[in-house]
This record gives sequence, structure tokens and C-alpha cells, in this order.
Amino acid sequence: MSVIWAIIRKDFQMEFRTKDSVTAMWIFSLLIFVIFNFTFEVSRLLMLQISPGLLWVAFIFSGMLGLNRSFQVEKENGNLRSLALTPADPGLIYFGKFFSTTLFTLIFEALIFPLFIIFYDIHLSLLTLWIIPIAILGTIGFTSLGTILSAVAIHTKQQQILLSLLLWPMITPIIIWSVKTTGDVLAGDLSTAFQPVIIRMIVFDVIFTTISYLLFEYVVQE
Amino acid sequence: MTKKNSSLSFYIMAGLLLVLVPISLYLVFNWVPPIKASNPTEQTAQRIFYYHVASAWNGFFAFFVVFLASIMYLWKKERKWENIAVASAEVGTLFMTIVLITGPIWAKPTWGIWWTWDARLTSSLVLWLIYVAYLFLRRYLPDGTRRANLSAVVGIIGFVDVPLVWYSIRWWETQHPSAVLAGGKKGSLAPEMLFTLLFCVGVFTILYFLLMQRRIEIAKLEDSINKQYKEWETLS
Amino acid sequence: MIEQVPAVITAEKLRKEFGRVVALRGVSFQVPASTFFTIFGRNGAGKSTLLSIISGMAAASSGVIRVFGEDPAARTQRHRLSVISHESFLYDNLTALENLEFYGKLYSVQDLKERTHHVLRQVGLHHRRFDLVRTFSRGMLQRLTIARAILHNPDLFLLDEPFTGLDQHATEMLIGLLETLKAQGKTILLTTHDLHIGLRLSDQYMILERQQVVETGSASGLTEDALREKYFSLISSGEAGQ
Repeated sequence: MSVIWAIIRKDFQMEFRTKDSVTAMWIFSLLIFVIFNFTFEVSRLLMLQISPGLLWVAFIFSGMLGLNRSFQVEKENGNLRSLALTPADPGLIYFGKFFSTTLFTLIFEALIFPLFIIFYDIHLSLLTLWIIPIAILGTIGFTSLGTILSAVAIHTKQQQILLSLLLWPMITPIIIWSVKTTGDVLAGDLSTAFQPVIIRMIVFDVIFTTISYLLFEYVVQE
Repeated sequence: MTKKNSSLSFYIMAGLLLVLVPISLYLVFNWVPPIKASNPTEQTAQRIFYYHVASAWNGFFAFFVVFLASIMYLWKKERKWENIAVASAEVGTLFMTIVLITGPIWAKPTWGIWWTWDARLTSSLVLWLIYVAYLFLRRYLPDGTRRANLSAVVGIIGFVDVPLVWYSIRWWETQHPSAVLAGGKKGSLAPEMLFTLLFCVGVFTILYFLLMQRRIEIAKLEDSINKQYKEWETLS
Repeated sequence: MIEQVPAVITAEKLRKEFGRVVALRGVSFQVPASTFFTIFGRNGAGKSTLLSIISGMAAASSGVIRVFGEDPAARTQRHRLSVISHESFLYDNLTALENLEFYGKLYSVQDLKERTHHVLRQVGLHHRRFDLVRTFSRGMLQRLTIARAILHNPDLFLLDEPFTGLDQHATEMLIGLLETLKAQGKTILLTTHDLHIGLRLSDQYMILERQQVVETGSASGLTEDALREKYFSLISSGEAGQ
């Protein structure tokens, strides 16, 4: 456990030191909303329909930036190798990186969400709180795969493009489910499909965190 | 496997295909009765279905082989398993490409559009993307155990993702009104159609194994040539 | 005699091959405790592969490797060894102290606080402990790299071409630090293609050429010219360099 905490602590110490990039990411998602507003000139009603997708596009884009940064620091001075050389279990190193990117992405999403509410005139109700577990489940699905695939991509020179190539098709299921459930919540009306989909999201998260935990050892081997 | 054995299996499979491929063409274009459709173009276009499904089946099967070979590689750490995994990924991507080309060819005369975000077509596209990414990863890394490890990891994760992708997209389709198209649903197959389909699947499966065998042979040859070159370099 | 000292590293007929790549062809050697052992060889001679196997990051195809009497792949002796390469293994956006605290936790170092302060004083960086690593000069970076490597008080140091990219000043500094470690009785395994530095530090040496051991011997009494002559006669049978 101390290994996981040490990695989370270390990542956050570094994040808070480079606050400018947090601001840059926030501005970036602001830009996504602005650009989308002009690329899709649609009625208010239609906007309401596509807004859940929009929110997740903003989440995923900033999550990608977060993943790239989180692993850039492990690449710079050969740090991933040095982590693998410690007595720490590689699986725990995976969890450390996974939790820190997940937490960071979630904090970031919490900063984006108010922007989204303002720009797309989202009606808030008690039901809107459901967005929290949905964001957590969706983000875990994304970062569980993103963490191990980043560690894979880090070994190549085309790290960023390769991460996108690997990650995007694989997260299709969790994106579909996240957007759908977010849509239900924003519409203020949970469909009958809502609960089973939440369960599917949990299953997805459990499957990929477990597999990644088991396989991470092979990613750091030489 | 000795050289003699491998070339024997090649001749057997190649010989079988030489006979079976023309038969399958005959079955598809002459023997099997046309479907009931409003226009003749649609009737003809439907015949692509046999090769389309046979390719899809082999695509899935190939990715399953990638998955198994990747697990075996991580367990045994033998070059053999890496060669099998990558051969199957390449051949599987080829079959999936055929699926993605024949799909729209059939869709245009039948539905009037090249592409629809139909569950089968979309899942095939996503799977194709996963294995293309796998091949890209290999392209970006130098030969060695690291590349073998990393591609095995992606080969395993990618295949675990396959049923989830398939399932989620199918579910998404039912939630998505515009994707429901008339005429897209097939009824039960006539016996002749079923026979032709199974026949084509069989022929394509032999083709899969033939391509695999060739691809693995090439990998082995490459390894042995390079090794001999190195040995020669050491002696000189 | 050397034979009486228990060997820290024992390698027997190590072979590493994968497909077309043959990285080691039956390498055998022993590194006794408290010895400075240098492996000379050109790029591609198999030095890095050998270090990967000793550190437990890669597995040999065949042969036996024992570090402190155990298989390094089992990771049981990890806390007793330290790898130093030309990469610093440090985080630029952490302070010197934070870097050490982080690695200390991964190595489960006892009394971490005291230990970090102790090693920082040892390398003369205590006054800069709250400064970010990215503000450090090359020399300070080098010292902090050493501080990180000695933090968990390992018995064995594996040095993977540590002089790559260092200027004269930093090289001298690193040599000084290595001499200190040597004086403390640590076992040190250095891989390098620099005959001058290697000979200056070593007790014993080995020459790897084309993935094989071509020469082993004691470094004492050996002049640089004699080593140079030997080295080039052994590797010059083919085209030099790669």
C-alpha cells in the first residue's frame, strides 16, 4: 500500500508544482465547448441531445492529455525503468499510476462540469448527482486501460499517437455506456436501461483493472 | 516441424484450395437459389454474403489465436508463440479488411447506402482498428523480447475487449432509432444457403491456416538467415 | 586469495537469444564481494543485456545466474542492489529531498528521514534539498543520482555506461564518488567502453566481444597501454565499431 501512496503523492507534488498545465487543460476544454458550439449550429433541443457526448469528448480529451503527461515524467530520465528496478511489486506500481491519473482526471472533470452547466444551460436537480458515480466509473474504465497502454506506448518514439491508436478503439464500450447514462441523468429521466448499464460499467472497470494489474509486470520487463 | 513436414502441409492445403475454391464459387453463384428481393441487383449483391461471413468468422478466429498465442508467449517466452501471434494478427486484419470492403458493397444496393452504423459493421471496424493498432505498435518497436512482451500484452487486452465492444455496440444500436433499417434482418436460411455458407466458412478456414503456415515459415526463415549471418560475422 | 571471498555475482554459461537476436553466447564469470569489476566492450557486445539479466529485468534463455546466491528474477535481493546509468532516474519537478523520500518509500528504507538527510550531507547537497532538481547543474545532478543510488544502502552497484554524456568535470566527480564506494567495501560492476576510466578504478576486468567473454584478468599491475593493446587485438579481427 505504501508503494501506491508514494506514487500518488509524488505525482500530485509534481502536478501542483506545474499548475500552469492544469490551467492550460481547463482552457482547452473551454475551447472544446466553444468550438463545438460553432461546428454544430443546432437548436436548443438538439443540443440537449448531443450535450452528453460533448461532455465526454471534453472529459476524454483532457484525460488523454493527463495520461500523456503522467507518463512523460516517467519517461524523461528513465524513471519507469528505475521504478521497475525497486523491490516494489509491478502490480502496485500500476495501481499507483492508475490511481493518480484517475484522481487527477476526476478533479479535472469536476472543474469542467460547471463550465458545461453554464454553457449548455443544464437544469440541475437531485438526479444530477448521479453524474458523480457515472463520471467515476467512466473515468476508471478509461484510465485503467489508459495507464497500461501508456506504459506500453512509452517505449516507442511515437508515444502520443500510438496511445490514441491503442486506447480509442478499446474504450468504445465504456464511452457508449457513459454517454448513455449521462444522457439519462441530464434529461432528468432514468430509463429502464440505466441500472443494467451502470452494472456493465462496473464489470468493465473490474475486468480491465484486474487484467492490467496482472500484465503490468510484462510491460516493464526488458 | 521439419522442412519436409511443413512443405507437405502446404501442398495439402494448397491442393485442397485449388479444388474447393472453384467449387465454392460455383455454389455461391450458380447453385444456391437467389433470395427473394425486389430488384436483381440486390439478389446478386446478396451472394457476397457467403464470403463476407466466412471472412468475418476467420477474422474473429484469428484474433482468438492472437490471444491464445500471446498468453502462451508470456508463459513460455518462446519466439515460436510470438511468431504465431503476429502471423495471426496480420492474417486476421486481412480478413477483417475483406469484411469491411464486402460489407459496404452489399449495403449499397440493399440499403442504398455505403455505410451504416450497424452493429456488425461497426464492431468489425472497431476490431479492425484494435488490431491495426497492434500492428502499428510492432512497427514502432525494434525486434526483441520487449516488443514481444508489449505486443502480447496488447494482444490479450485487445481480445478481452472484443466481446465487450460487440455487446456494447449492439446494445447501442437498439437505443439508436436511426440505425434500424428495413430489410437488414435476415430470416432463417434456406438449407442450400446454409450449406453454401458453411462450405465457404470451411474453405476460408483452410485459407487461414495456409496463410498462417506461410507467414510463420517466413518469420522462421528470416530468423534463421539473420542468425546465420551473425554466426558468420562472429567467425570471420 | 580471490577464491576464498564468496562471489556476489555468479554467471554460468549465460545465453540469451530471441529469434534473430543473439545477445549473449555462453557467458561465465564471477564477481567476488568488495571487488570493482569492469566489463569492457563495444556497443552491441552484450554488456547491457548482461546487466539487465543481473538486475533481474530480463531472463536468460539458458545458463545460471545468481546474485547474492539467488535468482535475480525472483526480486528477493532487489534491496541489496542499485543501478546507475547515464539516465538520472530523478524527477525534474520534485525537490532533491522529495526525490529521495519517494525512492526511499519504494525501497522501504528504515528511518527514512534521517537517512535522506545523511546521504544528502554525504554528497554535499543538504543545503539544496528544497530546490527542484531541474534547477540543478550537471554536477549536482550527478551527485543526487549517487545519493539516490546509495539511499537504501545497497551492497552491489551495477553501473551501465554511467559516463555517457558527462563532461570532464562531472566525470571526475563521478569517479571520486565511485572511489568512495569502493573504499567502503561495496561490490561494483561497471560496464564501459572507456579503457582509461575503467582501468583506473577496477580490481578485475573482463572483455566482452561479440556476445562472448574473450578475456578476464586482474587489473592490478596492468598498464593502460598493455590493456589497450590487448583490447584492440581481441576486437580488431572484424571491422571496429558498429
